[in-house]
Amino acid sequence: MTAPMNPQAVIGMLAELERIRELTLDLLEREAPQLHPTPPDDASTTERSVFDVLLGARRAVLGNPATARRLHDLLIAEGRRYADTPRGARLRDQLVASEAVDDLRRVWESVSLNVLGGPASLNATPDAWADLLADAFIEHGLDDSILDRLRPEGFA
Amino acid sequence: MTLTDPREALADQSDFIGYLVGLAGLAQVVHILAADSRFGDVDGSAPPRDADDFVHALLGLARMGTAIERFANSAVAHHNPSDAFSLPASTVETSPRDDPTVGWLR
Repeated sequence: MTAPMNPQAVIGMLAELERIRELTLDLLEREAPQLHPTPPDDASTTERSVFDVLLGARRAVLGNPATARRLHDLLIAEGRRYADTPRGARLRDQLVASEAVDDLRRVWESVSLNVLGGPASLNATPDAWADLLADAFIEHGLDDSILDRLRPEGFA
Repeated sequence: MTLTDPREALADQSDFIGYLVGLAGLAQVVHILAADSRFGDVDGSAPPRDADDFVHALLGLARMGTAIERFANSAVAHHNPSDAFSLPASTVETSPRDDPTVGWLR
């Protein structure tokens, strides 16, 4: 039986995972340069800044597809639950009727290339996770013993 | 120690409050977007079309902002004993410093 990995070894392995991920993404952008377009020459400073932010968002999504998908599904699950409340339903109706949301949706689809579309997997998100956490932290507190289990000796 | 810059300790460099404020700011943007309605104020009648995943993701972001505000309001109540009536008994009877259940938050 091998000994448990020490913190330094764990960090080293995670750093290697990050290095491989970055190299893969670099290769992807090199082999598919259309994913990383150059900004227009006559772009103003503001347009250039927006362009850079959007490209950064694309790189974040394409470079971390599973994480992005998970976050996407979490937000949607929470949004659906919020829409079941009077306040959430009112905000939902306002968003549906918003021209700015239509514009933002178009931008998001262009940036993400719709890689996050499609139905979420069943039970992908815990029910009411935002309230669950808020209630745990604010209303009931959290026993130190629970946190201790998440913080193995030597790691934090 | 971070993955991309192993020289500094992550815990020393992180800005957790900044994360929360940033998320709350994004949630505010959702409300600003909602105010840009093509049809004026929504009067509670049926929306012109169904809400899609994108709208629900924005709603989820707005909900996170609400949750963060709960945290902030809770913190204000902790620092202002006059608001203690709004807190659960377990947190009113002992100060945060003495309360072992919140010790790990410091």
